[in-house]
Amino acid sequence: MPDAKQPKADFSDVEGGSSSTAPAPSGRSYTVVKGDSLSKIAKHLYGDAQKWRKIYEANRDQIKNPDLIYPGQTFTIPDA
Amino acid sequence: MRTLHGRLYLLVILGGAVGVVGCKKGAPPPSETGAADTAAAAPAPAAPEAFAVSEVTLGKAIGTDKRVASPSTTFGPKDTIYASVATTGSAPSKTLTAKWTFQDGQTVKEGSETIAPTGPAVTEFHMAKPSGWPVGKYKVEISADGTPATTKEFEVKK
Repeated sequence: MPDAKQPKADFSDVEGGSSSTAPAPSGRSYTVVKGDSLSKIAKHLYGDAQKWRKIYEANRDQIKNPDLIYPGQTFTIPDA
Repeated sequence: MRTLHGRLYLLVILGGAVGVVGCKKGAPPPSETGAADTAAAAPAPAAPEAFAVSEVTLGKAIGTDKRVASPSTTFGPKDTIYASVATTGSAPSKTLTAKWTFQDGQTVKEGSETIAPTGPAVTEFHMAKPSGWPVGKYKVEISADGTPATTKEFEVKK
């Protein structure tokens, strides 16, 4: 068990990445514009706002908080 | 005599060649044989293999094939830590996620890679900490489309 008195470890400067021998999906991509939200994009592309999580899961490297996406971000849109 | 022997040899060789050609003539042309054999031997098309995570290996470096060269579960504070995830099967789109956590439950790093594998593939996740890893126990949980696939534990020692 870690010592409770010890200060919490700081991982704020951790860098990371990933890559694969597999190809990336040939699915669509979507560039966020002002006023977008994940559910709005899901509604627009899938016809179902509830599918926002698919976009979130496919772009977890870019989306830290699903409530915060920014204009100019380009997301991979997996097949519905 | 030499000439006669030479002619005899030539006749024998030619005779053999005619014999070989003669034998072949009775058989179907190679292309037809190949095609017929293939059609007869080929099984019905198999269903695509389902996607699965087959193995996760940790190490300090990877090769161009994304595989860890020397597997390790113990690292130094300044090491870059790699998790090489081998998968089998195909899928139009799969999101592999690596969630790295420290012994106190803190999430150290989370990364994902969306792939469209058509067969065996290797996906690597890595993390580094320029100021040095705190000593202790860590783990990395690999999930596919949000479903946990496997967890590997490792330790950072001074």
